[in-house]
Amino acid sequence: MSSESQNQADRVPLSQLLSGEKGRVYDLKGEATVCARLREMGFCESAVVEKVGGTFTVLCQVCGTRIALNSRAAEHILVEKLES
Amino acid sequence: MRAPVYALVGNPNCGKSTLFNALTGLKQKVGNYPGVTVEKHEGTAYSQHGQAMKVIDLPGAYSLASRSPDEAVMRDVLLGRREDTPQPDRIVCIVDASNLERHLYQVLQILDLGRPVILVLNMMDLAENSGVKIRVNYLERMLGIPVIPCEADKGRGIIELKLAMSRHDLPLSKHRWDIPAAIAPAVAELQASLGDNDGKAPLIARAEALLLLTDHDHVRVAGSTPLHAKTEEILKTWKARWSAENVDWAAILVKARFAEVGRICTEVVERRETRARVGRPFVDRLDEVLTHPVWGWLIFISIMGLLFLGIFTLAEYPMNWIDSGMGMLADWVRGAMPPGDLRDLITDGALSGLRGIVIFLPQILILFFSIGLLESTGYMARAAVMMDRIMGKVGLSGRSFIPLLSSYACAIPGIMATRTIEDRRDRLTTILVAPLMSCSARLPVYLLMIAALVPGTSVPALTKTGIMLLMYSIGTFGALGYAWLFRRTLLKGKPSMMMMEMPAYQLPSLRTIVRQMLDRASAFLFQAGTVILSLSILLWALAAYPKSPAGSSPQVQLEHSYAGDMGRLLEPTIKPLGFNWQIGVGLVSSFAAREVFVSTMGVIFDVQGDTKANTVPLRDALRQATWPDGHRLFTPLVCFNLMLYYVFAMQCLSTVAVVYRETKSWFWPTFQILYMTGTAWVVCFVVYQVGRLAGF
Repeated sequence: MSSESQNQADRVPLSQLLSGEKGRVYDLKGEATVCARLREMGFCESAVVEKVGGTFTVLCQVCGTRIALNSRAAEHILVEKLES
Repeated sequence: MRAPVYALVGNPNCGKSTLFNALTGLKQKVGNYPGVTVEKHEGTAYSQHGQAMKVIDLPGAYSLASRSPDEAVMRDVLLGRREDTPQPDRIVCIVDASNLERHLYQVLQILDLGRPVILVLNMMDLAENSGVKIRVNYLERMLGIPVIPCEADKGRGIIELKLAMSRHDLPLSKHRWDIPAAIAPAVAELQASLGDNDGKAPLIARAEALLLLTDHDHVRVAGSTPLHAKTEEILKTWKARWSAENVDWAAILVKARFAEVGRICTEVVERRETRARVGRPFVDRLDEVLTHPVWGWLIFISIMGLLFLGIFTLAEYPMNWIDSGMGMLADWVRGAMPPGDLRDLITDGALSGLRGIVIFLPQILILFFSIGLLESTGYMARAAVMMDRIMGKVGLSGRSFIPLLSSYACAIPGIMATRTIEDRRDRLTTILVAPLMSCSARLPVYLLMIAALVPGTSVPALTKTGIMLLMYSIGTFGALGYAWLFRRTLLKGKPSMMMMEMPAYQLPSLRTIVRQMLDRASAFLFQAGTVILSLSILLWALAAYPKSPAGSSPQVQLEHSYAGDMGRLLEPTIKPLGFNWQIGVGLVSSFAAREVFVSTMGVIFDVQGDTKANTVPLRDALRQATWPDGHRLFTPLVCFNLMLYYVFAMQCLSTVAVVYRETKSWFWPTFQILYMTGTAWVVCFVVYQVGRLAGF
């Protein structure tokens, strides 16, 4: 597999991270207002997110804060998985 | 010289209210911004030399881009768009030190406003514990404003803050960030128009121009001065031009600001990696347990169980004292005044109305105290996460949980608590279904009906609890079912997102909890009180006129009053439910407050003595009551049906008034009365008719 497609495979919506995994935000999708809100909550591009737990409603750690997101919000955030 | 006006701004959960309390002590005033249901907190702080400083605590927000009415008010006050509030001279900006990256975005927006700003780094202790070190001096030099480390909950840093606030020569920030050259003309043109046409000072105009270009400014609330038509025109032209060029300058500006935030943070924040310790941090494990599919629910159910036990058992004593106290007051008035309509108006109208409000105060205080306690320890946010799953199934989010929980005590504080829900449809749905949660005013009705339902002198505790639980669950499932229905029909829309910051676990501050409890309770007293009081007086008049011949018993008087007429007028509509005109009088009289049903039954069935404290004589009277043809009126089926009626029917005018106040429209309260009372009628009709066929 080329490194490009490897990268593609590592890019997933935040909702697909497993508990304890870390990812770097690389893009936000959805309406501008939604993206702005997510950025304010700390999910700005290049921020590192760690998923703490939860299934339907995800608990994660970003910028030193713990934030709960439900799946409808988490799917707007695309992350690159980081090696832990 | 006029006292300088300070605005306190910051994100939610950064300790802003605690700091406000620490600064102003008891010198506070809570009001409302006219036209919007957003609380206005004002207070006076005194410098070390006794100089007074006015402080406005603005609603918490994550940025100046506003989405909820709370945030819109915060932005409008800062931009001087509200005539009811002076534009603040100076701004105290509070951030959570453990989390500077996220809060700085708003700080930069506020620095752009061109007012002297003091930056307060709150929760320094938490930051240090989590391994964050902030170079305060360096930050002070980069921004060019006073930066004050603080632990507001322990009172540390307050004196330093007051000293900074009383400085006459508070500097303007030297911090500037470069606006990309390509959009500079747009900023300049808007700034000029805001200055010329909207009468804004140059720096404020620049800040507002940036805000209009970068952020979404579509949430407008009453009392907010609209933009001048020319400014609006310029803004539209630029936005159209950008969208034609297919360049999203707004996003570029926002990203430029975030880049600046990142640059500052790398210079001033040192992060020690504390996560390298053996095992996972305690907080992570606690979070995992509290939101665990099994343990989380067990803990949640136990805490809620304790809360309800507290509301219903602890409150009983003060409720009895209030009851006997009000009784004594009425007796005293009866003794001190000559008999007549005025005396009856005071004792049976005004005093009994007052009693109907004050009697619920103990339960409401306990509820608010418990909610405050759970909120300040950080548990409530986790409970909302647990409930988000269930709420999500009916189209709501975890944010609707606290309002619905409060509604078990009383729908009014519950409806007032919906203000924190951002999504308009979510908020309206929550308001519409909140009164279906069985509030404490339904309890006396349930108790009387259970007593009449079960034969024998005393009701076994298990039966009583069982029926009671049944009524509570019917109400709860009804509320969830209707929420589901409304989100699919009337308030159709995309399912809402939930993003909620989890506050750190903390030891609760008793002072803050008590203060919040008293604030909320007084709002309840004022909002519900005025309606219940005036309605009680009206209902008294309906029951007291026209006068029966002197010497007739209270029963005869009520039978021949307007209220009696209304009961008889109602009989054809409620007969299919198994109710007669006497029950109709009870339904009419309890329209202001449900528990009035019990005392009305006492009068109409001519039972002497306190019906509330002792249900036995009234119960026996109910058992003997018959229809004109001689068959029993209060059969078990009718008793059960009457309880069901009270589960669903909108028998509370104070709620109607509060819903009107919160939604600013008569449509929603009218709709609420129709759908709730309509459901009550249909449910009771079906149950009664089917029950009769089944031989009950």
